[in-house]
Amino acid sequence: MNLTDLQALEQRYLMRTYRRAPVEFVRGEGALLWDAEGNEYLDFLAGISVCSVGHCNPDVVEAVREQAGRLIHTSNLFYTEPMVRLAERLSESSLGGRVFFSNSGTEANECAIKIARKHAHRRGIEAPQIVSFERDFHGRTYGALSATPALAANPALAPMLPGFLAVPLNDAAALREAVGESTAAVLIEPIQGEAGIYPVSDEALLAAREACDEAGALLIFDEIQTGMGRTGSLWAYEQTPVRPDVLTSAKALGGGMPIGACITTPAAGEVLEPGDHGSTFAAGPVASAAALAVLEIVDDPALLRGVRELGAQLREGLLAHDGVREVRGRGLMAGVGLEDGIDAAALGADLLERGLIVNVPEPGTLRLLPPLTVESAQVERAIGAIGDALLSYAAQ
Amino acid sequence: MSSDKRPREPRALTSSTAERLAAIVEAAEQAASKVIDDAEEQARRQLQEAGARADRIVAERLRELADELDPESQATPRREPHLRPVESEAEPAPPAARRSTAAGARLLATQMAVSGSSRAEIDQRLRSGFEIEDTSEILDAILGPEE
Repeated sequence: MNLTDLQALEQRYLMRTYRRAPVEFVRGEGALLWDAEGNEYLDFLAGISVCSVGHCNPDVVEAVREQAGRLIHTSNLFYTEPMVRLAERLSESSLGGRVFFSNSGTEANECAIKIARKHAHRRGIEAPQIVSFERDFHGRTYGALSATPALAANPALAPMLPGFLAVPLNDAAALREAVGESTAAVLIEPIQGEAGIYPVSDEALLAAREACDEAGALLIFDEIQTGMGRTGSLWAYEQTPVRPDVLTSAKALGGGMPIGACITTPAAGEVLEPGDHGSTFAAGPVASAAALAVLEIVDDPALLRGVRELGAQLREGLLAHDGVREVRGRGLMAGVGLEDGIDAAALGADLLERGLIVNVPEPGTLRLLPPLTVESAQVERAIGAIGDALLSYAAQ
Repeated sequence: MSSDKRPREPRALTSSTAERLAAIVEAAEQAASKVIDDAEEQARRQLQEAGARADRIVAERLRELADELDPESQATPRREPHLRPVESEAEPAPPAARRSTAAGARLLATQMAVSGSSRAEIDQRLRSGFEIEDTSEILDAILGPEE
Protein backbone atom coordinates (compact mmCIF):
# COMPACT_ATOMS: atom_id res chain seq x y z
CA MET A 1 0.00 0.00 0.00
CA ASN A 2 1.56 3.32 -1.02
CA LEU A 3 0.90 6.90 0.08
CA THR A 4 -1.75 7.42 -2.59
CA ASP A 5 -3.64 4.35 -1.36
CA LEU A 6 -3.46 5.61 2.23
CA GLN A 7 -4.78 9.00 1.21
CA ALA A 8 -7.68 7.39 -0.64
CA LEU A 9 -8.62 5.36 2.43
CA GLU A 10 -8.28 8.44 4.62
CA GLN A 11 -10.69 10.30 2.37
CA ARG A 12 -13.22 7.53 2.71
CA TYR A 13 -12.90 6.46 6.35
CA LEU A 14 -11.22 9.04 8.57
CA MET A 15 -12.93 12.12 9.95
CA ARG A 16 -11.54 15.23 8.37
CA THR A 17 -9.99 16.72 11.50
CA TYR A 18 -6.37 16.82 10.34
CA ARG A 19 -4.40 18.22 7.43
CA ARG A 20 -1.64 15.65 7.22
CA ALA A 21 1.65 16.27 5.44
CA PRO A 22 2.03 13.94 2.43
CA VAL A 23 4.56 11.63 4.05
CA GLU A 24 4.21 8.09 5.37
CA PHE A 25 6.72 7.29 8.07
CA VAL A 26 7.66 3.69 8.57
CA ARG A 27 10.65 3.68 10.91
CA GLY A 28 12.35 5.80 13.55
CA GLU A 29 15.54 5.77 15.56
CA GLY A 30 16.76 8.52 17.88
CA ALA A 31 16.15 11.87 16.20
CA LEU A 32 15.72 10.30 12.77
CA LEU A 33 12.69 9.07 10.82
CA TRP A 34 12.46 7.28 7.49
CA ASP A 35 9.56 7.40 5.07
CA ALA A 36 8.21 4.54 2.98
CA GLU A 37 10.53 5.46 0.12
CA GLY A 38 13.62 5.26 2.32
CA ASN A 39 14.18 9.02 2.69
CA GLU A 40 15.74 10.12 5.98
CA TYR A 41 14.34 13.00 8.05
CA LEU A 42 15.73 14.81 11.07
CA ASP A 43 12.81 15.10 13.45
CA PHE A 44 12.72 18.45 15.25
CA LEU A 45 9.13 17.99 16.30
CA ALA A 46 9.37 14.59 18.03
CA GLY A 47 5.71 13.80 17.60
CA ILE A 48 4.81 17.18 19.17
CA SER A 49 7.22 16.79 22.07
CA VAL A 50 6.26 13.18 22.73
CA CYS A 51 9.33 11.23 21.62
CA SER A 52 11.68 13.14 23.89
CA VAL A 53 13.98 10.19 24.44
CA GLY A 54 14.14 9.61 20.70
CA HIS A 55 12.22 7.29 18.43
CA CYS A 56 12.19 3.68 19.53
CA ASN A 57 14.50 4.31 22.44
CA PRO A 58 15.89 0.84 23.28
CA ASP A 59 15.12 1.12 27.00
CA VAL A 60 11.51 2.14 26.34
CA VAL A 61 11.11 -0.56 23.68
CA GLU A 62 12.44 -3.18 26.06
CA ALA A 63 10.20 -2.02 28.93
CA VAL A 64 7.12 -2.12 26.68
CA ARG A 65 8.07 -5.46 25.14
CA GLU A 66 8.71 -7.06 28.51
CA GLN A 67 5.56 -5.71 30.14
CA ALA A 68 3.33 -6.47 27.14
CA GLY A 69 4.48 -10.04 27.25
CA ARG A 70 3.48 -10.36 30.89
CA LEU A 71 0.38 -8.23 31.55
CA ILE A 72 -1.29 -5.57 29.43
CA HIS A 73 -4.41 -4.49 31.29
CA THR A 74 -6.42 -5.11 34.43
CA SER A 75 -8.19 -1.73 35.05
CA ASN A 76 -7.83 0.49 38.08
CA LEU A 77 -9.95 -1.80 40.19
CA PHE A 78 -6.75 -3.69 41.03
CA TYR A 79 -3.12 -3.02 41.83
CA THR A 80 -0.32 -3.15 39.32
CA GLU A 81 3.23 -2.39 40.34
CA PRO A 82 4.37 -0.10 37.46
CA MET A 83 1.49 2.31 38.14
CA VAL A 84 2.23 2.64 41.84
CA ARG A 85 5.96 3.01 41.30
CA LEU A 86 5.35 5.66 38.65
CA ALA A 87 3.11 7.64 41.00
CA GLU A 88 5.84 7.54 43.65
CA ARG A 89 8.46 8.71 41.21
CA LEU A 90 6.37 11.56 39.79
CA SER A 91 5.35 12.80 43.22
CA GLU A 92 8.85 12.60 44.69
CA SER A 93 10.32 14.45 41.71
CA SER A 94 7.88 17.34 41.93
CA LEU A 95 5.18 18.52 44.33
CA GLY A 96 5.26 15.66 46.83
CA GLY A 97 1.52 14.97 46.91
CA ARG A 98 -0.72 12.55 45.04
CA VAL A 99 -1.10 11.55 41.40
CA PHE A 100 -4.12 10.82 39.25
CA PHE A 101 -3.34 9.08 35.98
CA SER A 102 -5.08 9.58 32.65
CA ASN A 103 -4.50 8.65 29.03
CA SER A 104 -3.65 12.09 27.66
CA GLY A 105 -2.86 15.68 28.47
CA THR A 106 -6.35 17.01 28.06
CA GLU A 107 -7.62 14.38 30.51
CA ALA A 108 -4.91 15.35 32.99
CA ASN A 109 -6.24 18.90 32.80
CA GLU A 110 -9.80 17.66 33.30
CA CYS A 111 -8.62 16.17 36.58
CA ALA A 112 -6.96 19.46 37.55
CA ILE A 113 -10.18 21.35 36.76
CA LYS A 114 -12.19 18.94 38.90
CA ILE A 115 -9.76 19.41 41.79
CA ALA A 116 -9.99 23.19 41.44
CA ARG A 117 -13.78 23.23 41.36
CA LYS A 118 -14.20 20.86 44.29
CA HIS A 119 -11.58 22.76 46.27
CA ALA A 120 -13.55 25.94 45.59
CA HIS A 121 -16.88 24.41 46.58
CA ARG A 122 -15.32 23.41 49.89
CA ARG A 123 -14.56 27.08 50.43
CA GLY A 124 -18.22 27.93 49.84
CA ILE A 125 -17.84 29.18 46.29
CA GLU A 126 -20.97 28.31 44.33
CA ALA A 127 -19.86 29.38 40.85
CA PRO A 128 -16.11 28.85 40.74
CA GLN A 129 -14.06 30.45 38.01
CA ILE A 130 -10.81 29.42 36.39
CA VAL A 131 -8.51 32.06 34.95
CA SER A 132 -6.11 31.39 32.08
CA PHE A 133 -4.05 33.41 29.65
CA GLU A 134 -5.28 34.22 26.16
CA ARG A 135 -3.78 31.78 23.63
CA ASP A 136 -3.20 29.13 26.30
CA PHE A 137 -3.79 25.62 25.04
CA HIS A 138 -5.05 23.11 27.57
CA GLY A 139 -6.76 20.49 25.43
CA ARG A 140 -9.77 19.53 23.39
CA THR A 141 -12.15 17.83 25.79
CA TYR A 142 -14.84 20.22 26.98
CA GLY A 143 -13.37 21.29 30.30
CA ALA A 144 -9.88 21.81 28.92
CA LEU A 145 -11.36 23.29 25.75
CA SER A 146 -13.26 25.84 27.80
CA ALA A 147 -9.91 26.90 29.27
CA THR A 148 -8.45 27.25 25.76
CA PRO A 149 -9.76 30.65 24.67
CA ALA A 150 -8.84 30.48 20.99
CA LEU A 151 -10.65 27.18 20.44
CA ALA A 152 -13.47 27.89 22.88
CA ALA A 153 -14.49 30.82 20.68
CA ASN A 154 -15.63 28.43 17.94
CA PRO A 155 -19.42 28.93 17.90
CA ALA A 156 -19.95 25.60 16.18
CA LEU A 157 -18.81 23.84 19.34
CA ALA A 158 -20.83 25.98 21.78
CA PRO A 159 -21.80 26.01 24.53
CA MET A 160 -18.58 25.77 26.51
CA LEU A 161 -18.51 25.04 30.22
CA PRO A 162 -19.24 28.11 32.35
CA GLY A 163 -16.70 29.59 34.71
CA PHE A 164 -13.67 30.23 32.52
CA LEU A 165 -12.10 33.55 31.68
CA ALA A 166 -8.86 34.67 30.12
CA VAL A 167 -6.56 37.66 30.42
CA PRO A 168 -3.81 38.81 28.04
CA LEU A 169 -0.53 36.92 28.35
CA ASN A 170 1.86 38.49 30.85
CA ASP A 171 -0.60 41.17 31.92
CA ALA A 172 0.05 40.90 35.65
CA ALA A 173 -2.39 43.67 36.52
CA ALA A 174 -5.21 42.09 34.53
CA LEU A 175 -4.49 38.77 36.15
CA ARG A 176 -4.63 40.27 39.64
CA GLU A 177 -7.87 41.98 38.67
CA ALA A 178 -9.39 38.77 37.34
CA VAL A 179 -8.63 36.70 40.41
CA GLY A 180 -11.12 37.25 43.20
CA GLU A 181 -13.35 35.61 45.75
CA SER A 182 -14.94 33.26 43.25
CA THR A 183 -11.69 32.11 41.67
CA ALA A 184 -11.04 28.39 41.93
CA ALA A 185 -7.73 28.36 40.12
CA VAL A 186 -5.34 30.00 37.75
CA LEU A 187 -4.57 27.44 35.05
CA ILE A 188 -1.65 28.36 32.82
CA GLU A 189 1.17 26.98 30.73
CA PRO A 190 4.49 28.32 32.09
CA ILE A 191 5.55 28.56 28.45
CA GLN A 192 2.75 28.66 25.89
CA GLY A 193 3.46 25.84 23.47
CA GLU A 194 0.78 25.60 20.80
CA ALA A 195 0.59 29.38 20.58
CA GLY A 196 4.18 29.49 19.30
CA ILE A 197 6.46 29.19 22.38
CA TYR A 198 5.79 32.27 24.49
CA PRO A 199 7.20 32.17 28.04
CA VAL A 200 5.17 33.65 30.88
CA SER A 201 7.12 36.46 32.51
CA ASP A 202 8.41 36.15 36.06
CA GLU A 203 6.28 39.13 37.01
CA ALA A 204 3.11 37.47 35.75
CA LEU A 205 3.97 34.20 37.47
CA LEU A 206 4.57 35.98 40.77
CA ALA A 207 1.29 37.85 40.31
CA ALA A 208 -0.52 34.57 39.68
CA ARG A 209 0.97 32.95 42.77
CA GLU A 210 0.19 35.95 44.97
CA ALA A 211 -3.33 36.34 43.65
CA CYS A 212 -4.04 32.66 44.22
CA ASP A 213 -2.65 32.80 47.74
CA GLU A 214 -4.75 35.84 48.57
CA ALA A 215 -7.92 34.32 47.13
CA GLY A 216 -7.33 30.80 48.46
CA ALA A 217 -7.28 29.52 44.87
CA LEU A 218 -5.02 26.89 43.35
CA LEU A 219 -2.21 27.63 40.92
CA ILE A 220 -2.19 24.95 38.23
CA PHE A 221 0.66 24.57 35.76
CA ASP A 222 -0.06 22.76 32.53
CA GLU A 223 3.35 21.15 31.96
CA ILE A 224 2.14 18.81 29.27
CA GLN A 225 4.58 20.28 26.77
CA THR A 226 7.10 21.96 29.06
CA GLY A 227 7.58 19.08 31.48
CA MET A 228 9.71 15.94 31.43
CA GLY A 229 12.96 17.77 30.79
CA ARG A 230 11.92 19.78 27.74
CA THR A 231 13.15 23.11 29.14
CA GLY A 232 16.33 21.76 30.74
CA SER A 233 14.92 20.91 34.16
CA LEU A 234 12.60 17.99 34.80
CA TRP A 235 9.71 20.43 35.28
CA ALA A 236 9.58 23.93 33.85
CA TYR A 237 8.41 25.42 37.15
CA GLU A 238 11.86 24.65 38.55
CA GLN A 239 13.19 27.53 36.45
CA THR A 240 10.52 29.95 37.62
CA PRO A 241 10.07 31.93 40.84
CA VAL A 242 6.94 30.02 41.89
CA ARG A 243 5.72 26.53 42.75
CA PRO A 244 2.29 25.45 41.58
CA ASP A 245 -0.24 23.52 43.67
CA VAL A 246 -1.05 21.19 40.81
CA LEU A 247 0.81 20.29 37.65
CA THR A 248 -0.25 18.22 34.70
CA SER A 249 1.96 16.06 32.52
CA ALA A 250 1.53 13.92 29.40
CA LYS A 251 3.16 13.94 25.94
CA ALA A 252 6.78 12.94 26.71
CA LEU A 253 5.79 11.09 29.86
CA GLY A 254 5.11 7.84 28.04
CA GLY A 255 7.79 8.13 25.37
CA GLY A 256 5.10 7.52 22.76
CA MET A 257 2.72 5.43 24.88
CA PRO A 258 -0.46 7.30 25.82
CA ILE A 259 -0.40 8.41 29.44
CA GLY A 260 -1.08 11.59 31.38
CA ALA A 261 -0.79 12.56 35.02
CA CYS A 262 -2.18 15.19 37.35
CA ILE A 263 0.28 15.72 40.21
CA THR A 264 -0.47 17.71 43.35
CA THR A 265 0.96 19.09 46.54
CA PRO A 266 0.07 17.06 49.63
CA ALA A 267 -2.80 19.44 50.47
CA ALA A 268 -4.32 19.52 46.98
CA GLY A 269 -3.98 15.76 46.84
CA GLU A 270 -6.64 15.39 49.52
CA VAL A 271 -9.41 17.02 47.48
CA LEU A 272 -10.64 14.18 45.28
CA GLU A 273 -12.29 11.18 46.92
CA PRO A 274 -13.65 7.83 45.74
CA GLY A 275 -16.23 8.37 43.03
CA ASP A 276 -15.03 11.83 42.04
CA HIS A 277 -12.97 10.68 39.07
CA GLY A 278 -11.79 7.59 37.24
CA SER A 279 -10.41 6.05 34.07
CA THR A 280 -10.56 2.56 32.62
CA PHE A 281 -7.26 2.51 30.80
CA ALA A 282 -5.18 5.03 32.71
CA ALA A 283 -1.74 3.97 33.92
CA GLY A 284 -2.04 0.50 32.51
CA PRO A 285 1.04 -1.62 33.11
CA VAL A 286 2.49 -1.14 29.62
CA ALA A 287 2.16 2.65 29.52
CA SER A 288 3.43 2.90 33.10
CA ALA A 289 6.43 0.68 32.40
CA ALA A 290 7.25 2.89 29.42
CA ALA A 291 6.93 6.03 31.55
CA LEU A 292 9.23 4.59 34.20
CA ALA A 293 11.81 3.86 31.50
CA VAL A 294 11.46 7.43 30.16
CA LEU A 295 11.89 8.95 33.62
CA GLU A 296 14.97 6.82 34.18
CA ILE A 297 16.51 8.49 31.12
CA VAL A 298 15.23 12.02 31.51
CA ASP A 299 15.55 12.54 35.26
CA ASP A 300 19.30 12.72 34.93
CA PRO A 301 21.28 15.90 35.68
CA ALA A 302 23.73 15.19 32.86
CA LEU A 303 20.97 14.85 30.27
CA LEU A 304 19.20 17.95 31.56
CA ARG A 305 22.42 19.94 31.44
CA GLY A 306 22.83 18.72 27.85
CA VAL A 307 19.33 19.99 27.05
CA ARG A 308 20.26 23.44 28.30
CA GLU A 309 23.55 23.43 26.38
CA LEU A 310 22.02 22.16 23.15
CA GLY A 311 19.24 24.71 23.53
CA ALA A 312 21.84 27.47 23.78
CA GLN A 313 23.62 26.09 20.72
CA LEU A 314 20.35 26.03 18.77
CA ARG A 315 19.41 29.54 19.82
CA GLU A 316 22.83 30.98 18.98
CA GLY A 317 22.99 29.28 15.60
CA LEU A 318 19.51 30.36 14.57
CA LEU A 319 19.98 33.96 15.65
CA ALA A 320 22.94 34.19 13.28
CA HIS A 321 20.64 33.70 10.28
CA ASP A 322 19.18 36.62 8.34
CA GLY A 323 15.43 36.32 8.58
CA VAL A 324 15.36 35.16 12.20
CA ARG A 325 14.03 37.92 14.41
CA GLU A 326 14.09 36.13 17.76
CA VAL A 327 14.24 32.72 19.37
CA ARG A 328 11.84 32.26 22.28
CA GLY A 329 11.67 29.52 24.85
CA ARG A 330 13.95 27.56 27.13
CA GLY A 331 16.07 24.46 26.70
CA LEU A 332 15.01 22.49 23.63
CA MET A 333 11.66 24.23 23.33
CA ALA A 334 12.25 26.91 20.75
CA GLY A 335 9.92 29.29 18.94
CA VAL A 336 11.73 30.84 15.99
CA GLY A 337 10.22 34.23 15.28
CA LEU A 338 10.76 35.12 11.62
CA GLU A 339 11.13 38.55 10.09
CA ASP A 340 7.93 40.11 8.78
CA GLY A 341 6.98 38.91 5.33
CA ILE A 342 8.47 35.43 5.63
CA ASP A 343 5.82 32.77 5.18
CA ALA A 344 6.54 30.23 7.91
CA ALA A 345 4.20 27.66 6.35
CA ALA A 346 6.10 27.80 3.06
CA LEU A 347 9.38 27.60 4.95
CA GLY A 348 8.14 24.58 6.93
CA ALA A 349 7.11 22.80 3.73
CA ASP A 350 10.50 23.52 2.19
CA LEU A 351 12.24 22.20 5.29
CA LEU A 352 10.24 18.97 5.08
CA GLU A 353 11.51 18.53 1.54
CA ARG A 354 15.01 19.17 2.82
CA GLY A 355 14.53 16.42 5.40
CA LEU A 356 13.91 18.53 8.51
CA ILE A 357 10.61 18.18 10.37
CA VAL A 358 9.41 21.33 12.14
CA ASN A 359 6.02 22.72 13.07
CA VAL A 360 4.35 26.02 12.18
CA PRO A 361 2.04 27.01 15.04
CA GLU A 362 1.34 30.54 13.75
CA PRO A 363 2.13 32.50 10.58
CA GLY A 364 5.49 33.93 11.64
CA THR A 365 6.89 31.16 13.80
CA LEU A 366 8.67 27.83 13.48
CA ARG A 367 8.32 25.58 16.51
CA LEU A 368 11.25 23.29 17.26
CA LEU A 369 10.89 20.44 19.75
CA PRO A 370 13.67 17.96 18.99
CA PRO A 371 14.26 14.85 21.09
CA LEU A 372 16.20 15.66 24.24
CA THR A 373 18.69 13.00 23.16
CA VAL A 374 19.47 14.84 19.93
CA GLU A 375 23.17 15.11 19.13
CA SER A 376 25.10 18.36 18.79
CA ALA A 377 25.90 17.55 15.15
CA GLN A 378 22.20 17.08 14.46
CA VAL A 379 21.47 20.47 16.01
CA GLU A 380 24.04 21.96 13.64
CA ARG A 381 22.39 20.14 10.74
CA ALA A 382 19.01 21.63 11.64
CA ILE A 383 20.50 25.12 11.98
CA GLY A 384 22.11 24.70 8.57
CA ALA A 385 18.90 23.46 6.94
CA ILE A 386 16.91 26.38 8.31
CA GLY A 387 19.61 28.79 7.11
CA ASP A 388 19.55 27.25 3.63
CA ALA A 389 15.77 27.40 3.50
CA LEU A 390 15.81 31.06 4.54
CA LEU A 391 18.38 31.88 1.86
CA SER A 392 16.33 30.05 -0.74
CA TYR A 393 13.20 31.89 0.39
CA ALA A 394 14.97 35.25 0.17
CA ALA A 395 16.19 34.43 -3.34
CA GLN A 396 12.66 33.82 -4.62
CA MET B 1 5.13 -7.37 44.31
CA SER B 2 7.53 -10.14 43.46
CA SER B 3 7.72 -12.13 40.30
CA ASP B 4 10.22 -14.25 38.43
CA LYS B 5 10.23 -11.99 35.45
CA ARG B 6 9.98 -8.32 36.17
CA PRO B 7 11.07 -5.12 34.45
CA ARG B 8 14.35 -3.50 35.27
CA GLU B 9 14.15 -1.73 38.64
CA PRO B 10 14.08 2.03 38.14
CA ARG B 11 16.24 4.07 40.44
CA ALA B 12 14.55 3.94 43.81
CA LEU B 13 13.23 7.23 45.14
CA THR B 14 12.06 6.87 48.69
CA SER B 15 10.13 9.32 50.75
CA SER B 16 13.34 10.15 52.60
CA THR B 17 14.63 11.67 49.36
CA ALA B 18 11.70 14.04 49.25
CA GLU B 19 12.13 14.84 52.92
CA ARG B 20 15.81 15.53 52.35
CA LEU B 21 15.04 17.76 49.36
CA ALA B 22 12.35 19.57 51.32
CA ALA B 23 14.81 20.12 54.17
CA ILE B 24 17.44 21.44 51.74
CA VAL B 25 14.94 23.78 50.14
CA GLU B 26 13.67 24.99 53.50
CA ALA B 27 17.17 25.53 54.86
CA ALA B 28 18.26 27.33 51.71
CA GLU B 29 15.19 29.52 51.74
CA GLN B 30 15.71 30.37 55.40
CA ALA B 31 19.37 31.14 54.79
CA ALA B 32 18.59 33.28 51.77
CA SER B 33 15.80 35.04 53.61
CA LYS B 34 18.11 35.83 56.51
CA VAL B 35 20.80 37.18 54.20
CA ILE B 36 18.33 39.49 52.51
CA ASP B 37 16.74 40.57 55.79
CA ASP B 38 20.21 41.29 57.21
CA ALA B 39 21.16 43.23 54.11
CA GLU B 40 17.98 45.26 54.24
CA GLU B 41 18.47 45.97 57.95
CA GLN B 42 22.07 46.97 57.32
CA ALA B 43 21.00 49.25 54.48
CA ARG B 44 18.37 50.86 56.71
CA ARG B 45 20.96 51.46 59.45
CA GLN B 46 23.42 52.96 57.00
CA LEU B 47 20.75 55.22 55.56
CA GLN B 48 19.79 56.41 59.02
CA GLU B 49 23.41 57.06 59.96
CA ALA B 50 24.09 58.88 56.71
CA GLY B 51 20.96 60.99 57.14
CA ALA B 52 21.93 61.92 60.69
CA ARG B 53 25.47 62.79 59.57
CA ALA B 54 24.11 65.00 56.78
CA ASP B 55 21.79 66.77 59.22
CA ARG B 56 24.65 67.40 61.62
CA ILE B 57 26.82 68.86 58.84
CA VAL B 58 24.01 71.12 57.62
CA ALA B 59 23.29 72.33 61.16
CA GLU B 60 26.97 73.03 61.77
CA ARG B 61 27.28 74.91 58.48
CA LEU B 62 24.20 77.01 59.25
CA ARG B 63 25.60 77.84 62.66
CA GLU B 64 28.85 79.01 61.03
CA LEU B 65 26.92 81.09 58.51
CA ALA B 66 24.85 82.64 61.29
CA ASP B 67 28.02 83.55 63.17
CA GLU B 68 29.52 85.16 60.05
CA LEU B 69 26.37 87.19 59.38
CA ASP B 70 25.85 88.20 62.98
CA PRO B 71 29.27 88.53 64.66
CA GLU B 72 27.72 90.13 67.72
CA SER B 73 26.11 86.97 68.51
CA GLN B 74 29.55 85.61 69.23
CA ALA B 75 29.55 87.69 72.37
CA THR B 76 26.29 86.31 73.39
CA PRO B 77 25.74 82.80 74.39
CA ARG B 78 25.74 80.61 71.41
CA ARG B 79 22.29 80.09 70.04
CA GLU B 80 21.19 76.84 68.74
CA PRO B 81 20.27 77.15 65.10
CA HIS B 82 16.64 76.85 64.24
CA LEU B 83 17.46 73.98 62.06
CA ARG B 84 18.06 70.93 64.15
CA PRO B 85 19.05 67.50 63.01
CA VAL B 86 15.78 65.77 62.43
CA GLU B 87 15.08 62.39 63.86
CA SER B 88 15.73 59.96 61.11
CA GLU B 89 12.51 58.23 60.39
CA ALA B 90 12.58 54.49 59.98
CA GLU B 91 12.64 53.46 56.35
CA PRO B 92 9.20 52.41 55.21
CA ALA B 93 8.76 48.68 54.79
CA PRO B 94 9.44 47.57 51.24
CA PRO B 95 6.23 47.29 49.20
CA ALA B 96 4.63 43.88 48.93
CA ALA B 97 5.54 43.55 45.27
CA ARG B 98 9.23 44.07 46.07
CA ARG B 99 9.08 41.56 48.93
CA SER B 100 7.45 38.98 46.71
CA THR B 101 9.99 39.64 43.97
CA ALA B 102 12.82 39.08 46.43
CA ALA B 103 11.18 35.92 47.69
CA GLY B 104 10.56 34.85 44.10
CA ALA B 105 14.20 35.35 43.22
CA ARG B 106 15.24 33.22 46.20
CA LEU B 107 12.77 30.49 45.30
CA LEU B 108 13.85 30.57 41.67
CA ALA B 109 17.49 30.19 42.67
CA THR B 110 16.66 27.41 45.12
CA GLN B 111 14.57 25.47 42.63
CA MET B 112 17.20 25.81 39.94
CA ALA B 113 19.91 24.67 42.35
CA VAL B 114 17.90 21.65 43.42
CA SER B 115 17.19 20.78 39.79
CA GLY B 116 20.91 20.81 39.00
CA SER B 117 21.53 24.19 37.38
CA SER B 118 25.01 25.62 37.72
CA ARG B 119 25.92 28.81 39.58
CA ALA B 120 26.45 30.59 36.26
CA GLU B 121 23.06 29.50 34.94
CA ILE B 122 21.26 30.66 38.07
CA ASP B 123 23.21 33.92 38.03
CA GLN B 124 22.21 34.57 34.42
CA ARG B 125 18.56 33.75 35.11
CA LEU B 126 18.44 36.05 38.15
CA ARG B 127 19.97 38.87 36.16
CA SER B 128 17.64 38.50 33.19
CA GLY B 129 14.47 37.76 35.13
CA PHE B 130 14.87 40.08 38.10
CA GLU B 131 17.47 42.62 36.98
CA ILE B 132 19.55 41.85 40.07
CA GLU B 133 23.02 43.26 39.53
CA ASP B 134 24.75 41.59 42.46
CA THR B 135 23.48 38.05 42.74
CA SER B 136 26.30 36.87 44.98
CA GLU B 137 24.34 37.12 48.23
CA ILE B 138 21.54 34.91 46.99
CA LEU B 139 23.92 32.50 45.30
CA ASP B 140 26.22 32.29 48.32
CA ALA B 141 23.27 31.65 50.61
CA ILE B 142 22.01 28.79 48.51
CA LEU B 143 25.12 27.28 46.97
CA GLY B 144 27.70 28.38 49.53
CA PRO B 145 30.45 30.93 48.91
CA GLU B 146 32.37 30.66 45.68
CA GLU B 147 35.80 29.15 46.23
